Amino acid sequence: MTLEEALRNNRYKIVDRWVAYTLTTYEASSFFLKEKDAFANPIGATVRDALKKLFALLMQDAESEQLKEPLSRMMHLRSVQDFSPAQAVAPLNAVKHITREVLAADKETAPLTAELYDFEFRVDLAMLAAFDLYVACREKIYQLRIDEIKSGKHTLTDGGCPSQALKNIAGTKG
Amino acid sequence: MSVPKLEQLSKSVVQGPSLATGAIPKVDWTELPVEFKSGNYAYPAKKDKVEYLNSQKGLYFPNAREWSPEDDDWKFPENWKEIIIKGLAERLNKFRSLKIFMDCCVRCGACADKCHFFLGTGDPRNMPVMRAELLRSIYRNDFTLAGKVLGKMAGGRELTVGVLKEWFMYSYQCTECRRCSVFCPYGIDTAEITMMMRELLHLVGVGINWILEPVSNSNRTGNHMGLQPHTFKDNVDFLADDIENLTGIRITPTFNRKGAEVLFITPSADVFAEPGLYTAMGYLLLFEHIGIDYTWSTYASEGGNFGLFTNNESMKKLNAKMYAEARRLGVKFIIGGECGHMWRVLHQYMDTMNGPADFLEVPKSPMTGTVFSNAASTKMVHISEFTADLIKHGKLSIDKSRNSHVKATFHDSCNPARAMGLLDEPRYILDHVVDWVEMPENTIRERTFCCGSGTGLNTDEIMELRMRSGLPRANAVKYVEDRHGVNTLACVCAIDRATLTSLMGYWNPNVTVCGISELVGNSLVMDGETRGELEEGLRTMVF
Ligand code: SF4
Ligand code: SF4
Repeated sequence: MTLEEALRNNRYKIVDRWVAYTLTTYEASSFFLKEKDAFANPIGATVRDALKKLFALLMQDAESEQLKEPLSRMMHLRSVQDFSPAQAVAPLNAVKHITREVLAADKETAPLTAELYDFEFRVDLAMLAAFDLYVACREKIYQLRIDEIKSGKHTLTDGGCPSQALKNIAGTKG
Repeated sequence: MSVPKLEQLSKSVVQGPSLATGAIPKVDWTELPVEFKSGNYAYPAKKDKVEYLNSQKGLYFPNAREWSPEDDDWKFPENWKEIIIKGLAERLNKFRSLKIFMDCCVRCGACADKCHFFLGTGDPRNMPVMRAELLRSIYRNDFTLAGKVLGKMAGGRELTVGVLKEWFMYSYQCTECRRCSVFCPYGIDTAEITMMMRELLHLVGVGINWILEPVSNSNRTGNHMGLQPHTFKDNVDFLADDIENLTGIRITPTFNRKGAEVLFITPSADVFAEPGLYTAMGYLLLFEHIGIDYTWSTYASEGGNFGLFTNNESMKKLNAKMYAEARRLGVKFIIGGECGHMWRVLHQYMDTMNGPADFLEVPKSPMTGTVFSNAASTKMVHISEFTADLIKHGKLSIDKSRNSHVKATFHDSCNPARAMGLLDEPRYILDHVVDWVEMPENTIRERTFCCGSGTGLNTDEIMELRMRSGLPRANAVKYVEDRHGVNTLACVCAIDRATLTSLMGYWNPNVTVCGISELVGNSLVMDGETRGELEEGLRTMVF
């Protein structure tokens, strides 16, 4: 069996564990895992869908442009949730460990773990791309704040002029 | 080089406050104190605003001071505990529903996963049943025999400063949208429990600026922005100028005109901020089109009522202003614009606070003769009800192709949908003016998902909180965008027009947000118009 075949044969198992692992980073992980309706459970559905796509791309030597869509969806989620930047990105890395464990657990596929270097390197590249996307999301948040302030709503507060409001954004307290 | 094991990665990712510190909390989440940090709380109300409100007739906002959620010491008044317990006792007496809601929850969990804050954060304290439990546990401890005797074993807990901090955190992570109540077999309305927690917090001087400043502005000048009469009038006149540039039609709206048949009241955001401006242009065109005898008011210049988000006294006072103005001008009835919570106040609270408005007449459309008996007590009819009736009677000349740049979907704003049952009128209008599709069934009508920024949480310092609580709504919009090429999210609420604009900006940047009346305005064929190709309807830039 080639590594490619092994990855393909085990893809459901790996993705399932990857999704489960990622969802354990939420306090309500059991609900996010269980509820299958995408509209009743947007976090669970988004994570499942994005990681499924991502794994399919990581199995082949996909262009980094292609990785962007699923990565961006993951980062849109995690960059507005209660995670540090490292915590937001870390679950992506887990697929390396999971893949290794899954392959190692089976006698037939165990020897293939020695060939995982390229796969793991692709995961590393995806991680780096995810950091960029994380920062882009954070910048988007600040841009939206500025847009709201400029749209005239600042007259609501004693912040008064937009430049004062921008100072409030830069500082920690209002 | 050793590769970190999955286990270790988990520990630092799941439990540690940060990979860097490696610290792992050892207690259950229910025991964890809430942590306030930049981005997860709205700024406290400024001292002078609270003082001003407290000095006003009929209002009570004591214990004004400078304080910050990030400080350990919130500078509560010395007898804070007595104040809260007494405040709760008074409210249990005054509001029968509160007592019932405190007693009858069987913890079935039907509401648990229905809240957009829970769905977007995964934080168990954002389950409606747990949110209510924050207050209920105090109620049990101090107001029930079992709690007094058994304390913790009967689900009671002692009132501490930590509990008040929890109330502040989680009553301002509830948009009082009432989605959870739709699923509760007992009809427990967690929104009203949130309201009580906010009321009690105001008694010890804890509130947020984004709410109290609009309340004080409304009390002073009549609208959230504190716009004075001339500014309000100028803004509406500017919109009339824009309409003239676009269509060649000159509209001259009147203000504070005694003897007009109808008083029109809409959220002030419609007359000064995008994208509400286009909705206001829609109103102006519609009223011109049918030739109704109506007036704007520069005093009742706000439909919104942020009093609803503070305490019942402020809500009552701000609501009363609209009726005082209707009486002063001697109109027959009121038409209300596309606002959310104005209608909640009207339909759920107005009658027992200030109503019935017997000095007005039951709204009767001067164009069609339809009597809006649903508004027999409040004498105020919704612009969508009014418009749908006009369309039904063929009173509008509509060219749907003027909205061919739009593929819309409709967001049921929480208050019109769940608090007044306005479900079909906007849809009927959409059917006639634009090509549109519905979002998935469990995200619309009574089960609609909140924009995530209602009840005065539409302030920019909690943007990421708003983005995560708005995820369930954005997720459903994305679905129709991907499947049907939807490019416009229509709604009938001014807060939504502002907040969904940011929400879409983050999650679905190709989708714009508009009011229903904007789409109506786009499509109207006006007598004597000289309009060119307006590729983006009322939003088209003409020079
Ligand atoms: S009213 Fe809305 S925001 Fe509040 S707990 Fe219920 S679902 Fe959540
Ligand atoms: S659905 Fe109603 S009874 Fe059931 S847990 Fe929620 S509030 Fe309590």
